[in-house]
Amino acid sequence: MDYGALKPGDVISTRRCEVDADLVRRYVKAVDDRSDLTDSGIVPPMALAALGVRGVVQDLGIPGGTLHLGQEIEFTSPVDAGETISCTAEMVRNSVRGGQRVLVIDLTVRAGGDRLVMKGKSTIAVPA
Amino acid sequence: MPAEAFAEGVPLITVSHFITQAAVRAYAEASGDFNPIHLDPEFAAGSHFGRRVAHGMMIAASTSEMMSTEFGHAWAVSGRMKLRFRAPVFPGDLIRARGVVTSVEDLGGDRRRVSCRVETVRIDPDTGQEQVAITGEATVVA
Repeated sequence: MDYGALKPGDVISTRRCEVDADLVRRYVKAVDDRSDLTDSGIVPPMALAALGVRGVVQDLGIPGGTLHLGQEIEFTSPVDAGETISCTAEMVRNSVRGGQRVLVIDLTVRAGGDRLVMKGKSTIAVPA
Repeated sequence: MPAEAFAEGVPLITVSHFITQAAVRAYAEASGDFNPIHLDPEFAAGSHFGRRVAHGMMIAASTSEMMSTEFGHAWAVSGRMKLRFRAPVFPGDLIRARGVVTSVEDLGGDRRRVSCRVETVRIDPDTGQEQVAITGEATVVA
């Protein structure tokens, strides 16, 4: 992957997945989330963010030495277990700083067709 | 805690977790992030960290858990956070997410925008020393 060729506005990932009860259970177990929200049938909000980032990691082929520098997240609507979500990642900024290529990527997660459930912005540094 | 109980300076409930390599593996499988820096000891030994590290988003989940615990459903429909990853967390570390209310804005109709300063620290299992792993801000309308 030539990360230097990525331009603002490039859609780098679009994915759909069903957030089924098993995925929610595995996520909750992995992060050991003990909040009451996890008992209410709502998908933990950060699971949506994790799935949003998944497309970036997998579709960009993020190399092993990549650093996650920052993350902005806004949750706008709950998602029930069993819903299908679509995740889109779009390049916002691409620059080189201190020997590292810094990518800023917008994340959008929608459920039930067009219902916006999460927006976010990931800042990552890949070896230049 | 009822929303009206929040005021500037009020601390949030602290959330603590022990991070294990098994949990990091489980997170990789749930999230689909199989970056070898998290899973492959040989690869990680050659990285600038020198050993495997937990996913940043896995550690950030503790901040969201803290906000969910405090604000419940409101967090899922209006939560915002802006986080900066400052240091890696290693399997074997204890992490602690904590926060404090920095402002409460009355939006009318019993609605308030509560802003918080949040951070997650890692506690080194050998030295017991704290190191800040994540800092940021979180906001919710409750």
